Amino acid sequence: MKPWIRYAVCAVLGLALGAGVAIQHVRTGVLGASRAIGPWTTGSDFGTARASAFTRAVVSLRGLLALPAHEARYYNAAVDSAGEPLDGRCRYRVSGRAIPGKWWSLTLYDHPGYLVANQANRFSVASAAVPNPAAWDVIVAPAEQAGLWLPTGRIDRFELTLRVYLPDDGGLGTMTRDRLPAIVKEGC
Amino acid sequence: MRGWLFPLLLGLVLAFLGYHLTLVQFPRVLMSLATHRIAKGMGYNAMFAAPLATDKARAIVRPSPDLAYSSCPFDLSNGPVLVDVEPAPAPYWSLSVFDSRTDVVYVRNNIDAGNQPIRVAIARPGQPVPDGMTAVRVDGTTGIALIRILAPDRAGFGAIDIARKKSSCKALS
Repeated sequence: MKPWIRYAVCAVLGLALGAGVAIQHVRTGVLGASRAIGPWTTGSDFGTARASAFTRAVVSLRGLLALPAHEARYYNAAVDSAGEPLDGRCRYRVSGRAIPGKWWSLTLYDHPGYLVANQANRFSVASAAVPNPAAWDVIVAPAEQAGLWLPTGRIDRFELTLRVYLPDDGGLGTMTRDRLPAIVKEGC
Repeated sequence: MRGWLFPLLLGLVLAFLGYHLTLVQFPRVLMSLATHRIAKGMGYNAMFAAPLATDKARAIVRPSPDLAYSSCPFDLSNGPVLVDVEPAPAPYWSLSVFDSRTDVVYVRNNIDAGNQPIRVAIARPGQPVPDGMTAVRVDGTTGIALIRILAPDRAGFGAIDIARKKSSCKALS
Protein backbone atom coordinates (compact mmCIF):
# COMPACT_ATOMS: atom_id res chain seq x y z
CA MET A 1 0.00 0.00 0.00
CA LYS A 2 1.25 3.44 -0.89
CA PRO A 3 2.06 5.70 2.06
CA TRP A 4 -0.50 8.36 1.12
CA ILE A 5 -3.24 5.75 1.15
CA ARG A 6 -2.26 4.76 4.69
CA TYR A 7 -2.43 8.39 5.78
CA ALA A 8 -5.77 8.91 4.06
CA VAL A 9 -7.30 5.77 5.57
CA CYS A 10 -6.12 6.65 9.08
CA ALA A 11 -7.23 10.28 8.73
CA VAL A 12 -10.74 9.35 7.62
CA LEU A 13 -11.09 6.62 10.24
CA GLY A 14 -9.73 8.93 12.96
CA LEU A 15 -12.18 11.71 12.15
CA ALA A 16 -15.08 9.27 11.90
CA LEU A 17 -14.11 7.63 15.19
CA GLY A 18 -13.85 10.98 16.99
CA ALA A 19 -17.20 12.18 15.64
CA GLY A 20 -18.88 8.88 16.45
CA VAL A 21 -17.61 8.82 20.03
CA ALA A 22 -18.72 12.42 20.52
CA ILE A 23 -22.23 11.71 19.22
CA GLN A 24 -22.54 8.62 21.39
CA HIS A 25 -21.21 10.54 24.39
CA VAL A 26 -23.88 13.22 23.90
CA ARG A 27 -26.67 10.71 23.21
CA THR A 28 -25.98 8.93 26.48
CA GLY A 29 -25.45 12.19 28.35
CA VAL A 30 -27.82 13.34 31.06
CA LEU A 31 -28.98 16.90 31.65
CA GLY A 32 -26.72 18.33 34.32
CA ALA A 33 -24.83 15.07 34.70
CA SER A 34 -21.99 16.98 36.31
CA ARG A 35 -24.09 17.65 39.43
CA ALA A 36 -25.96 14.69 40.98
CA ILE A 37 -28.00 15.20 44.16
CA GLY A 38 -29.68 11.95 45.19
CA PRO A 39 -31.80 10.89 42.19
CA TRP A 40 -31.67 14.38 40.67
CA THR A 41 -29.12 15.89 38.30
CA THR A 42 -28.82 19.56 37.52
CA GLY A 43 -26.59 22.24 36.12
CA SER A 44 -26.32 25.96 36.68
CA ASP A 45 -24.76 26.99 33.38
CA PHE A 46 -27.48 25.98 30.89
CA GLY A 47 -27.93 28.58 28.17
CA THR A 48 -24.86 30.56 29.17
CA ALA A 49 -21.59 31.27 27.43
CA ARG A 50 -19.68 29.55 30.26
CA ALA A 51 -21.28 26.16 29.57
CA SER A 52 -18.80 23.56 28.37
CA ALA A 53 -19.07 22.22 24.84
CA PHE A 54 -20.35 18.92 26.25
CA THR A 55 -23.03 20.56 28.44
CA ARG A 56 -24.11 22.74 25.53
CA ALA A 57 -24.41 19.68 23.27
CA VAL A 58 -26.41 17.65 25.82
CA VAL A 59 -28.73 20.58 26.55
CA SER A 60 -29.32 21.09 22.83
CA LEU A 61 -30.34 17.44 22.54
CA ARG A 62 -32.27 17.01 25.79
CA GLY A 63 -33.58 20.48 26.58
CA LEU A 64 -33.09 22.95 23.75
CA LEU A 65 -33.99 26.55 24.65
CA ALA A 66 -33.36 26.06 28.37
CA LEU A 67 -33.27 29.25 30.43
CA PRO A 68 -30.31 30.48 32.48
CA ALA A 69 -30.22 29.69 36.20
CA HIS A 70 -31.48 33.06 37.44
CA GLU A 71 -34.70 32.53 35.48
CA ALA A 72 -35.21 28.80 35.97
CA ARG A 73 -33.46 25.80 37.47
CA TYR A 74 -33.98 22.36 35.97
CA TYR A 75 -33.61 19.18 38.03
CA ASN A 76 -33.92 15.89 36.17
CA ALA A 77 -34.38 12.36 37.55
CA ALA A 78 -34.11 9.11 35.61
CA VAL A 79 -33.77 7.00 38.77
CA ASP A 80 -35.57 6.80 42.10
CA SER A 81 -34.06 7.57 45.51
CA ALA A 82 -32.68 4.02 45.66
CA GLY A 83 -30.88 4.53 42.36
CA GLU A 84 -33.17 2.23 40.35
CA PRO A 85 -34.36 3.36 36.88
CA LEU A 86 -37.85 4.86 36.86
CA ASP A 87 -40.22 2.24 35.47
CA GLY A 88 -43.59 3.27 34.02
CA ARG A 89 -45.24 0.07 35.23
CA CYS A 90 -44.49 0.89 38.88
CA ARG A 91 -45.97 3.27 41.44
CA TYR A 92 -43.80 5.97 43.02
CA ARG A 93 -44.42 8.54 45.73
CA VAL A 94 -42.67 11.85 45.10
CA SER A 95 -42.57 13.71 48.42
CA GLY A 96 -41.46 17.28 48.66
CA ARG A 97 -41.18 20.28 50.94
CA ALA A 98 -41.36 23.98 50.13
CA ILE A 99 -39.55 24.65 46.85
CA PRO A 100 -37.72 28.01 46.99
CA GLY A 101 -38.97 29.71 43.84
CA LYS A 102 -41.89 31.68 42.46
CA TRP A 103 -43.49 28.56 41.01
CA TRP A 104 -42.50 25.04 40.09
CA SER A 105 -43.75 22.09 38.11
CA LEU A 106 -43.01 18.39 37.94
CA THR A 107 -43.26 16.90 34.43
CA LEU A 108 -42.99 13.32 33.21
CA TYR A 109 -41.14 12.58 29.94
CA ASP A 110 -40.03 9.53 28.02
CA HIS A 111 -36.28 9.08 27.56
CA PRO A 112 -36.02 11.13 24.33
CA GLY A 113 -37.73 14.02 26.16
CA TYR A 114 -41.31 13.94 24.91
CA LEU A 115 -44.53 14.02 26.90
CA VAL A 116 -46.13 10.63 27.42
CA ALA A 117 -49.59 9.73 26.08
CA ASN A 118 -52.06 8.83 28.83
CA GLN A 119 -55.83 8.62 29.08
CA ALA A 120 -56.06 11.50 31.55
CA ASN A 121 -54.10 13.84 29.23
CA ARG A 122 -52.12 14.93 32.28
CA PHE A 123 -48.44 15.64 31.82
CA SER A 124 -47.37 17.59 34.89
CA VAL A 125 -48.22 18.75 38.38
CA ALA A 126 -47.62 22.42 39.11
CA SER A 127 -47.17 24.18 42.44
CA ALA A 128 -50.57 25.88 42.08
CA ALA A 129 -52.23 22.47 42.35
CA VAL A 130 -50.52 21.55 45.62
CA PRO A 131 -52.77 22.10 48.67
CA ASN A 132 -49.89 22.41 51.13
CA PRO A 133 -46.70 23.71 49.49
CA ALA A 134 -44.69 22.94 52.66
CA ALA A 135 -45.36 19.19 52.52
CA TRP A 136 -46.74 17.55 49.40
CA ASP A 137 -46.94 14.18 47.68
CA VAL A 138 -47.42 13.32 44.03
CA ILE A 139 -48.17 9.72 43.08
CA VAL A 140 -46.54 8.71 39.81
CA ALA A 141 -48.24 5.56 38.56
CA PRO A 142 -49.81 3.95 35.48
CA ALA A 143 -53.35 3.76 36.94
CA GLU A 144 -55.42 6.59 38.38
CA GLN A 145 -54.66 7.45 42.00
CA ALA A 146 -56.34 9.53 44.68
CA GLY A 147 -54.74 12.92 45.29
CA LEU A 148 -52.16 14.36 42.91
CA TRP A 149 -51.53 11.77 40.23
CA LEU A 150 -49.01 11.91 37.41
CA PRO A 151 -49.65 9.13 34.86
CA THR A 152 -46.74 7.12 33.45
CA GLY A 153 -48.57 5.72 30.42
CA ARG A 154 -47.00 2.34 31.35
CA ILE A 155 -43.85 3.07 29.37
CA ASP A 156 -40.69 1.13 30.22
CA ARG A 157 -38.53 4.04 31.32
CA PHE A 158 -39.48 7.58 32.17
CA GLU A 159 -37.85 10.70 33.56
CA LEU A 160 -39.07 13.47 35.82
CA THR A 161 -38.11 17.10 35.39
CA LEU A 162 -38.60 19.57 38.21
CA ARG A 163 -38.60 23.17 36.97
CA VAL A 164 -38.16 25.91 39.53
CA TYR A 165 -38.91 29.32 38.04
CA LEU A 166 -37.40 32.49 39.49
CA PRO A 167 -35.50 30.68 42.26
CA ASP A 168 -35.34 32.61 45.53
CA ASP A 169 -31.54 32.69 45.49
CA GLY A 170 -31.38 33.99 41.93
CA GLY A 171 -30.17 30.61 40.73
CA LEU A 172 -26.84 31.00 42.50
CA GLY A 173 -27.26 27.94 44.70
CA THR A 174 -28.43 24.39 44.15
CA MET A 175 -31.06 22.69 46.26
CA THR A 176 -29.71 20.11 48.66
CA ARG A 177 -30.91 16.51 48.82
CA ASP A 178 -33.07 17.41 51.84
CA ARG A 179 -34.74 20.19 49.89
CA LEU A 180 -35.35 18.18 46.73
CA PRO A 181 -38.26 15.74 46.54
CA ALA A 182 -37.67 12.08 47.41
CA ILE A 183 -38.77 9.50 44.82
CA VAL A 184 -39.76 6.26 46.54
CA LYS A 185 -40.98 3.17 44.72
CA GLU A 186 -44.10 1.74 46.39
CA GLY A 187 -44.72 -1.24 44.14
CA CYS A 188 -44.97 -2.60 40.61
CA MET B 1 4.13 -2.42 10.22
CA ARG B 2 6.53 0.47 10.76
CA GLY B 3 4.93 2.19 7.79
CA TRP B 4 1.68 2.52 9.79
CA LEU B 5 3.12 4.30 12.84
CA PHE B 6 2.81 7.87 11.59
CA PRO B 7 -0.52 7.31 9.81
CA LEU B 8 -1.94 5.86 13.06
CA LEU B 9 -0.60 8.83 15.03
CA LEU B 10 -2.29 11.14 12.52
CA GLY B 11 -5.51 9.15 12.97
CA LEU B 12 -5.33 9.58 16.75
CA VAL B 13 -4.81 13.32 16.48
CA LEU B 14 -7.70 13.63 14.03
CA ALA B 15 -9.92 11.49 16.26
CA PHE B 16 -9.27 13.95 19.10
CA LEU B 17 -10.00 16.90 16.80
CA GLY B 18 -13.09 15.19 15.35
CA TYR B 19 -14.45 14.62 18.85
CA HIS B 20 -14.13 18.28 19.84
CA LEU B 21 -15.32 19.65 16.50
CA THR B 22 -18.41 17.46 16.69
CA LEU B 23 -19.18 18.63 20.24
CA VAL B 24 -18.86 22.27 19.17
CA GLN B 25 -20.99 21.84 16.05
CA PHE B 26 -23.65 19.64 17.67
CA PRO B 27 -25.73 22.43 19.27
CA ARG B 28 -25.39 24.66 16.20
CA VAL B 29 -26.78 21.90 13.99
CA LEU B 30 -29.68 21.11 16.33
CA MET B 31 -30.47 24.81 16.78
CA SER B 32 -30.41 25.31 13.02
CA LEU B 33 -32.77 22.35 12.54
CA ALA B 34 -35.14 23.65 15.24
CA THR B 35 -35.11 27.18 13.81
CA HIS B 36 -35.81 25.85 10.33
CA ARG B 37 -38.56 23.53 11.60
CA ILE B 38 -40.37 26.38 13.37
CA ALA B 39 -39.94 28.65 10.35
CA LYS B 40 -41.67 26.09 8.13
CA GLY B 41 -45.00 27.17 9.62
CA MET B 42 -45.01 30.98 9.49
CA GLY B 43 -41.65 31.74 7.92
CA TYR B 44 -38.75 33.67 9.47
CA ASN B 45 -39.29 36.90 11.40
CA ALA B 46 -42.88 36.04 12.31
CA MET B 47 -44.37 35.02 15.65
CA PHE B 48 -45.79 31.51 15.82
CA ALA B 49 -48.18 30.78 18.72
CA ALA B 50 -47.88 27.05 19.35
CA PRO B 51 -50.69 25.15 21.04
CA LEU B 52 -50.11 23.91 24.59
CA ALA B 53 -47.75 20.94 24.51
CA THR B 54 -49.15 17.42 24.56
CA ASP B 55 -47.68 14.01 23.78
CA LYS B 56 -48.24 14.85 20.09
CA ALA B 57 -45.75 17.77 20.26
CA ARG B 58 -42.50 16.80 18.58
CA ALA B 59 -41.04 20.14 17.44
CA ILE B 60 -38.94 20.74 20.56
CA VAL B 61 -37.74 18.24 23.14
CA ARG B 62 -38.80 18.53 26.78
CA PRO B 63 -41.55 21.13 26.33
CA SER B 64 -43.27 22.32 29.49
CA PRO B 65 -47.00 21.53 29.37
CA ASP B 66 -47.59 24.40 31.83
CA LEU B 67 -46.32 27.03 29.44
CA ALA B 68 -47.74 28.53 26.28
CA TYR B 69 -44.90 29.06 23.82
CA SER B 70 -44.81 31.65 21.07
CA SER B 71 -41.65 31.57 19.00
CA CYS B 72 -40.06 33.75 16.36
CA PRO B 73 -37.33 32.13 14.27
CA PHE B 74 -35.33 35.16 13.21
CA ASP B 75 -32.96 35.82 10.32
CA LEU B 76 -30.88 38.99 10.52
CA SER B 77 -29.38 38.72 7.02
CA ASN B 78 -31.35 41.74 5.82
CA GLY B 79 -31.30 43.77 9.03
CA PRO B 80 -32.61 43.81 12.60
CA VAL B 81 -35.80 42.13 13.74
CA LEU B 82 -38.24 43.84 16.09
CA VAL B 83 -39.97 41.81 18.80
CA ASP B 84 -42.95 43.27 20.62
CA VAL B 85 -44.33 41.34 23.60
CA GLU B 86 -47.71 42.35 24.93
CA PRO B 87 -48.53 41.56 28.57
CA ALA B 88 -50.56 38.41 29.15
CA PRO B 89 -53.07 37.76 31.97
CA ALA B 90 -50.78 35.21 33.62
CA PRO B 91 -48.66 35.12 36.77
CA TYR B 92 -45.48 34.66 34.71
CA TRP B 93 -44.42 35.47 31.18
CA SER B 94 -41.03 36.15 29.65
CA LEU B 95 -39.12 36.81 26.47
CA SER B 96 -35.83 35.04 25.85
CA VAL B 97 -33.58 35.33 22.81
CA PHE B 98 -31.33 32.42 21.80
CA ASP B 99 -28.45 32.71 19.36
CA SER B 100 -27.33 30.05 16.90
CA ARG B 101 -25.09 28.50 19.57
CA THR B 102 -28.09 28.07 21.92
CA ASP B 103 -26.82 30.77 24.30
CA VAL B 104 -29.44 33.00 25.91
CA VAL B 105 -28.41 36.52 24.96
CA TYR B 106 -31.44 38.22 26.49
CA VAL B 107 -34.14 37.30 28.98
CA ARG B 108 -36.72 39.50 30.65
CA ASN B 109 -39.87 38.49 32.50
CA ASN B 110 -43.09 40.26 33.46
CA ILE B 111 -41.79 41.09 36.94
CA ASP B 112 -38.63 42.74 35.54
CA ALA B 113 -40.83 44.61 33.08
CA GLY B 114 -43.46 45.67 35.65
CA ASN B 115 -46.08 43.89 33.53
CA GLN B 116 -45.49 46.41 30.76
CA PRO B 117 -44.82 45.50 27.11
CA ILE B 118 -41.31 44.43 26.14
CA ARG B 119 -39.93 45.80 22.88
CA VAL B 120 -36.50 44.85 21.61
CA ALA B 121 -34.57 44.96 18.35
CA ILE B 122 -32.49 41.86 17.67
CA ALA B 123 -29.46 42.83 15.62
CA ARG B 124 -25.98 41.72 14.66
CA PRO B 125 -23.05 43.77 15.91
CA GLY B 126 -22.92 47.00 13.91
CA GLN B 127 -26.47 46.88 12.59
CA PRO B 128 -28.23 50.15 13.51
CA VAL B 129 -31.41 49.89 15.58
CA PRO B 130 -34.12 52.55 16.05
CA ASP B 131 -33.49 55.18 18.71
CA GLY B 132 -34.93 54.30 22.09
CA MET B 133 -35.22 50.63 21.26
CA THR B 134 -33.43 48.07 23.43
CA ALA B 135 -30.84 46.40 21.21
CA VAL B 136 -30.19 42.67 21.65
CA ARG B 137 -26.94 41.86 19.89
CA VAL B 138 -26.35 38.33 18.64
CA ASP B 139 -23.51 36.60 16.85
CA GLY B 140 -24.61 34.80 13.73
CA THR B 141 -27.65 35.59 11.62
CA THR B 142 -30.27 33.20 12.95
CA GLY B 143 -31.80 32.19 16.27
CA ILE B 144 -35.08 32.01 18.13
CA ALA B 145 -36.96 34.57 20.22
CA LEU B 146 -39.24 32.71 22.60
CA ILE B 147 -42.17 33.93 24.67
CA ARG B 148 -43.15 31.71 27.60
CA ILE B 149 -46.47 32.30 29.35
CA LEU B 150 -47.50 30.31 32.41
CA ALA B 151 -50.92 28.76 31.82
CA PRO B 152 -51.72 27.26 35.22
CA ASP B 153 -55.18 26.15 34.13
CA ARG B 154 -55.79 24.73 30.65
CA ALA B 155 -59.47 25.64 30.95
CA GLY B 156 -58.51 29.30 31.31
CA PHE B 157 -56.07 29.26 28.42
CA GLY B 158 -58.42 31.13 26.05
CA ALA B 159 -57.75 34.58 27.55
CA ILE B 160 -53.99 33.97 27.48
CA ASP B 161 -54.19 32.77 23.89
CA ILE B 162 -56.00 35.92 22.78
CA ALA B 163 -53.51 38.17 24.59
CA ARG B 164 -50.39 36.42 23.33
CA LYS B 165 -51.46 36.73 19.71
CA LYS B 166 -51.03 40.50 20.04
CA SER B 167 -47.28 39.96 20.36
CA SER B 168 -45.35 40.28 17.14
CA CYS B 169 -42.04 39.78 15.42
CA LYS B 170 -41.09 41.48 12.18
CA ALA B 171 -38.09 42.56 10.12
CA LEU B 172 -37.18 46.22 10.45
CA SER B 173 -36.54 46.70 6.76
